[in-house]
Amino acid sequence: MIQRLLLAREAVLFYVLLAMGAVFAIAVDGFLDAFSLLERTRYWAIPGMMAVPMTFIIATAGIDLSVASIVAMSGIVLGLLFRDAQLPIAVAAGAAVLAGLSAGAFNGWASSYLRIPPLVVTLATMALFRGVAMGLSKAQPISDFPDGLLWLGQGNIVRLGSDLYLPTPFAALLIAVALGWVLMRRSWVGRFTECIGENEMAAEFAAIGVRRLKMALYAGCGLVCGLAALFNTGLYATAKADTANGMELEVIACVVIGGTRISGGQGSVIGSLLGLCIIGILRYGLEMAGVRSQYVVIVVGALLIVTAVFNEWIARRRGVKG
Amino acid sequence: MGHDFVLQLSGIHKRFGGVPALRAAHLEVRPGEVHGLVGENGAGKSTLINIATGLLRADEGEILFEERKVRFATPRQAAAAGIAVVHQEADLFAQLSIAENMLLARGLVRGPGGLINWPGTYRRAAELVSSMGEQFNVRDPAGGLSVARRMMAEIAAAVSEKARVLFLDEPTSSLASKEIKNLFAQIRCLREAGVGIVYVSHRLEEVLEICDRVTVMRDGETVETRPTEGLTMEAVVGTMVGRELGHVFSKRRVSIGDVRLSVQNLTARDGSFSNISIDVRAAEIVGLYGFVGAGRSEFAQALFGVSRPASGVVAIDGRPVAIRQPRQAVSNGLAYLPEDRLVQGVFRNQSLRTNASVASLGRLSRFGLVRRREERALAERVIRDMNVRAASQEQPLGTLSGGNQQKVVFGRWQATAPKVLLLDEPTRGVDVGAKQEIHKLIGDLAEQGTAILLISSELPEIMAMSDRVVTFSEGRKTGEFSPEKDGEEAVAAAAVPRAVEEGTAQAPTPARRLAAGMLRFREAGLLGFILLLSGVMAGLRPEGFANARNLLDILASAALPAIMAQGAMLIICTGGIDISVGSMMGLICAWAAMAAKAGWPPTLCLALAVVLGVSCSLLNGGTALLARIHPIIVTLAGISIYRGLMRIVTAGKEVTLLPDGYRALADGTILGIPKLCYYVLGVTIVTHVMLRYTLPGRRMLALGNSETAARLIGLSKTRSTLLVFAVSGALVGLAAVLQAGYYGKVQANTGSGLELKAIAAAVIGGTNILGGRGSALGTLLGAFLVALLYNMLILLEASSYWQSIFVGGLILLAVVLDALLERLRGASA
Repeated sequence: MIQRLLLAREAVLFYVLLAMGAVFAIAVDGFLDAFSLLERTRYWAIPGMMAVPMTFIIATAGIDLSVASIVAMSGIVLGLLFRDAQLPIAVAAGAAVLAGLSAGAFNGWASSYLRIPPLVVTLATMALFRGVAMGLSKAQPISDFPDGLLWLGQGNIVRLGSDLYLPTPFAALLIAVALGWVLMRRSWVGRFTECIGENEMAAEFAAIGVRRLKMALYAGCGLVCGLAALFNTGLYATAKADTANGMELEVIACVVIGGTRISGGQGSVIGSLLGLCIIGILRYGLEMAGVRSQYVVIVVGALLIVTAVFNEWIARRRGVKG
Repeated sequence: MGHDFVLQLSGIHKRFGGVPALRAAHLEVRPGEVHGLVGENGAGKSTLINIATGLLRADEGEILFEERKVRFATPRQAAAAGIAVVHQEADLFAQLSIAENMLLARGLVRGPGGLINWPGTYRRAAELVSSMGEQFNVRDPAGGLSVARRMMAEIAAAVSEKARVLFLDEPTSSLASKEIKNLFAQIRCLREAGVGIVYVSHRLEEVLEICDRVTVMRDGETVETRPTEGLTMEAVVGTMVGRELGHVFSKRRVSIGDVRLSVQNLTARDGSFSNISIDVRAAEIVGLYGFVGAGRSEFAQALFGVSRPASGVVAIDGRPVAIRQPRQAVSNGLAYLPEDRLVQGVFRNQSLRTNASVASLGRLSRFGLVRRREERALAERVIRDMNVRAASQEQPLGTLSGGNQQKVVFGRWQATAPKVLLLDEPTRGVDVGAKQEIHKLIGDLAEQGTAILLISSELPEIMAMSDRVVTFSEGRKTGEFSPEKDGEEAVAAAAVPRAVEEGTAQAPTPARRLAAGMLRFREAGLLGFILLLSGVMAGLRPEGFANARNLLDILASAALPAIMAQGAMLIICTGGIDISVGSMMGLICAWAAMAAKAGWPPTLCLALAVVLGVSCSLLNGGTALLARIHPIIVTLAGISIYRGLMRIVTAGKEVTLLPDGYRALADGTILGIPKLCYYVLGVTIVTHVMLRYTLPGRRMLALGNSETAARLIGLSKTRSTLLVFAVSGALVGLAAVLQAGYYGKVQANTGSGLELKAIAAAVIGGTNILGGRGSALGTLLGAFLVALLYNMLILLEASSYWQSIFVGGLILLAVVLDALLERLRGASA
């Protein structure tokens, strides 16, 4: 029944997406350019892949505000190891991902084992990791990355038609979403995640390893943030400490618009993908229509609030308990 | 007065979800009598009390108080009318003083201007406490007090409200015999004063000693009421338990096998059970009988790994096992059906299938993926074997009846094919038909060789089903019986709790005392630390640090976070948070500055800023409240929204060249001291007075301590939350005006990062991040410490880029330290 509810939600999101696309296609010149749209997906892919583990975290009634900061920190680690320590790019990339994993693991450990609310932990690490990025890089950008890395962000992976290619980051996003979907719907990870979010005590009594799983989810989120940092650095050809500023809002907005409730208990990866597309199309369409970015950012923020409220209202109407 | 009865309940019916809890129950209490109320678990005593004291509404029936018909909507109403209740396990405001717990609902002593008079309040509370023959410090936080003392304080407070009827619910279960004697003396005094006391207890000896009359309840009905003169305990026990099972259950003769579960001298860490030794054999059903508080569930949960015992040995099939988590218990062949199905067993929104398979998912998975066909088959088997009435296995479990839900949770564990099955009240809250089915299932499982430990409070059930019955009382094993040879009365008598001789007072350890000291004198400690750091800096950088210019800088950079931190502190006290205050401040800063430039007089600009702040903040808090979502989402979006609005308002440009009159609001000195200091001082004092000396302030703290307890005494979450956001918004508005005035310009990033500094200041200053405790002075010192640390970083030529780490690290450090200190002191609710 819960699955049915979400399915309906995902269908609705799809309709909304189509409707938005139609409106923009009519109202804005040059919107329907397939090439530009595909290029745009490069930028969507970064918050998008982070929305996958965030879906799991929010489904456990937790939250991770530090995701953008982890991306920044991992990017700087990548840059410094490559430029100053002269490590081969693959090794530096591995270390960057490891840095992300460790950051996430710290979040998970502090919230699950020290029992500090994840909100507080990740609020603090949001500042902490960003500060580490700033401090390590002395606020200087790092560039001159090899083509291999640039390909991750700027390259294409397969040809779709004449002159149309699938950008590498977007392909990575699709893989992430596919993996996330399998984990959530087909594996015990997703099942236990939803149970923990709905009733953590019952989950303990049901012999679910609650603390271990929660810590793993946060660590996994950090890992994905580290990976996202690789694509991000490749895309901009630069590692900067202030990159991905405010991206945590977008990532959380993808998840909430996708239907996952903040109070936890269920999560939809497909929903998060659709949420990402909605935000992406909205942003893209508004920008093409000449709306300035300060208005766009307000719209996204307002959309997040409205959707969160709507989620709760729908859930109460359908009699979902708790 | 001369009423016959001071309280009369008659014809009370109450059902919970279709299952009757009370059937035409009645109770008559005379003034100036001690009236005992006894009955087994589930007899309906608690429900009747809850109805009498206004917590529940009866479905049918009448309550007469002093011969007038009454209807209470809330416990507060009942208490104000004169019917009071003292529970053993009451929700309390753990971080507030005992005096406040006693008097917040009933009337704190007030002084001039309506402000709270604390010396007077403490004196009043102390008087009440000593009138009960007790001596303890009423200023101590209630969470650290022993149960016995808390109860005495509660009784004293209830009595102070001129209660005519006082319900005492299990008053002696945590008391030593000396304390019980004292309690009885107080009860006798109250009786002399004409109060009608209802004494609810399982300790029948005590009931017979102190009570004039006793009412026995059974299965939701009042069976009889008699004077205690000449009444024996055996007679009471006989009345409590004498009834039929309702159906015939005969356990088939099965040959009992080897010992599967062997427990030796298991003792709990928290004292809930000690030195329990039990063996359970294959195909054997061992019943565990006892009353509430006997420790049976705690024992089973310790076996299952939910809690860790202090000592003892557990062996499965002869092999000793160390079980620290439920997962390990399951892999060792144990299964536990929890006592409270709603809280500990059921995932109401998940499907029946998920609920049935959750304990077996690991087994059903390959490479991490669940094999769906086998999972569905398992769910089908559970439905079939447990005879679950459901439309489909995809149905959310919450749509099934209580009995069917219980069967599914039972089936969940049966599916793990356990060697040892621990059943905790398996038929509680379940209709008769389902009960029968569950009994049959238990019998079948035993037949198949499972060793079963059956915890139940229903004597007929346990006697009919068990091969052996073990009785628990006060955490100890008090007897072992055979249902064939021994009778119900003997078993029940062994389960009746008795007082223990040793005292319950815990002497505080040195670590505890240190933690308590550190927490109480936190502000002094902070001040000391600040002075220490300043001294160190003066030594390291004599020219750079200790000059007027630098100190002024520190003051200025501390001032605005200090003001906003007071608002953050108030919000955190109520259990909320607002991380958008930095961006909000930037927006208001720009707007007010532009108004000033447009010619508005400075005071009007200030008013505008405050109004804007209050409005934005109320929007934040109000949206979260109405939608019933945690403020984090609203305030997270708020950051972007306010930042975007700011850019629109300023058209992306800096706002500079502010009129002198406007700047004069913030810039400059009065009597040689920077104006900012006056604002900071003023805000801190006002916040302190509000939090400490006004009722709205105390209500905020109460709400942050325990939402349920707050609701019970009639506090409105809405009012407190909106008030706190409004105050925070006003402070943000003030800070915005001061920011523009002092620095002379508004930039795109004005205000960013301030919310973290504000939260850090509050947490360092002693605010509990979970709510319920805060200090205006501490917050001020915290803001100062943060500014001092930043200044140190600059003077010591540490890279300014590491500053961001500081704030984050400070928050983490402060929160962790706080949690550790609290745990050491032992002030947990």
